Amino acid sequence: MNDIVNVALPKGRLGEKVYEMFKAAGYPCEALEDPGRRLTFENPDAGIRYFWVKPSDVAIYVEKGAADIGVAGKDILLEYVPDVYELLDVGLGKCRMCVAAPDDFKDDYRKTLRVATKFPHVAKEHYSGVGRDIEIIKLNGSIELAPILGLSDVIVDIVETGATLKQNGLKVFDALFDISARLIANKSGYRFKREKIDLIRKKLETVKENKDD
Amino acid sequence: MCNPEGGLHAALRRVFETAGYRRYKMSKFEEYDLYSRNRSFLQSEKVLTFTDTDGKLLALKPDVTLSIIKNFRGSQGLEKLYYHENVYRASGVGFREIEQAGLECIGDVDEYSVCEVLSLAAKSLMTVGRDCELDISHLGLLCDLLDGFGDDLKSRVLRFFGGKNTGELRSLLESSGVPDEAALRIIELSDIDCPADEAPKKLQDILGGYVSWERLQLFCDTCRFLGDEFPGMIRVDFSTVGDLSYYSGIIFRGFIDGVPESVLSGGQYDNLAEKLSKHARAIGFALYLDLIDPLLLHKTEYDCDALLLYSEDKEPQEIYHEVKNLQEKGLSVMTAREVPAGLKFREIYSLKEGGAVRVE
Repeated sequence: MNDIVNVALPKGRLGEKVYEMFKAAGYPCEALEDPGRRLTFENPDAGIRYFWVKPSDVAIYVEKGAADIGVAGKDILLEYVPDVYELLDVGLGKCRMCVAAPDDFKDDYRKTLRVATKFPHVAKEHYSGVGRDIEIIKLNGSIELAPILGLSDVIVDIVETGATLKQNGLKVFDALFDISARLIANKSGYRFKREKIDLIRKKLETVKENKDD
Repeated sequence: MCNPEGGLHAALRRVFETAGYRRYKMSKFEEYDLYSRNRSFLQSEKVLTFTDTDGKLLALKPDVTLSIIKNFRGSQGLEKLYYHENVYRASGVGFREIEQAGLECIGDVDEYSVCEVLSLAAKSLMTVGRDCELDISHLGLLCDLLDGFGDDLKSRVLRFFGGKNTGELRSLLESSGVPDEAALRIIELSDIDCPADEAPKKLQDILGGYVSWERLQLFCDTCRFLGDEFPGMIRVDFSTVGDLSYYSGIIFRGFIDGVPESVLSGGQYDNLAEKLSKHARAIGFALYLDLIDPLLLHKTEYDCDALLLYSEDKEPQEIYHEVKNLQEKGLSVMTAREVPAGLKFREIYSLKEGGAVRVE
């Protein structure tokens, strides 16, 4: 069991790009490229086993040790604050966490600010840092709809290009932090597979640098 | 039959008692005030409380260390105590009862006592009989290096140390205007993760001249001692961090292969002792038995070795005699009038005239 490093990949476009990086780093897995209905994919020669999980679950799989390493967005790491190592910024999935609102929004400090978001912890941290009283409205999707229908005053959400905001008459009022995908590791698993995980991290770093060049 | 959990608990008791530590048995309850004044020392701020018959607000203990140090009297010199208790903590969606064993050394703690506690932590991990690792670092050295940093910057630096997040640590130091040379030193320290015997040279190279010389020498001596006594098991890893308002010097975590989180946690908590007005040095650790016990349970195909079936007309003495016969053959035996639903037995016997007859 200790010979294999278990990797949780986020399902979707980001996960496919992450796998391409692992492949370029010397950890290919033919089975994964022709998945069928299987859930786990292994290349014993490379000492690696992959599985796809929902992007927001990657950190849980890694924190609980079901996966030794994984790739998760910084947004997820800041929202759920899992107890994991954050070994590398893989440089994929770049976007920003922003406060956005209708173009004509003006904050009225006499009132509690209503904030719609998928990231209540992030929103709470931001507004408590500036001492603003808020009411958080936790949503699971279509966040942009909330201020349009008067459900909230602003939203705290991920913005990639800003096109969706623009189409809905919203704009960015505050950029909170940059987001990108991070290589994370289980704290105990790292100790007992240290050499293998460090090698993966180094090789991924090289792939990233070559791409940047 | 052997009880593997019981075996571990007895082995831990031996480890503690052979070093002269005395058992400290405590009540499950403590006055809530102790926890309300030291919330940040607790892993969770939520505490199970109830009102006692005299109107006092009590809590089911979420922590053992606070109670032990609260009861320490300065005149006691060096107090060496161990415990095996349950604590009650919020976890996920509710409260959990968590079994802990550990020790505390309070009073005139000298460098030998520190080495002794660290070696007992290592030996405690070894009692589990699996691959294990004890990681140590030193918050005093780290604080020396961060001298002059504001509390907010310090806590952010510590967070990145704890996450091995060198990339963001570098960006933070740069954006905070920390001079390049000092930033490099901090980053190099965060990168230290090596066997204990290799650490002194690295630490001298990075920290020499920038931290308390005495503190550095003492820590290097401790590393050499641990490296010699427990080769390959102890590493110096500066991602091992804790709350600065409580911990002051060496801090350590223990890991066992197969458990996804640290199973042992400890350190020198002179700052906590000071906070509780105890003018004493203190060091201790806790081992989380609820994380370890599942490792020791062997998967068994059968719920019990043998089932002895008997009819209503059998005399208790007759049944007892046959159970004893089977037990003497080394079998665990359950008795019933019918085969219990959902349970599996390796052998099934029926009590007939003249004795037990195997039917399956």
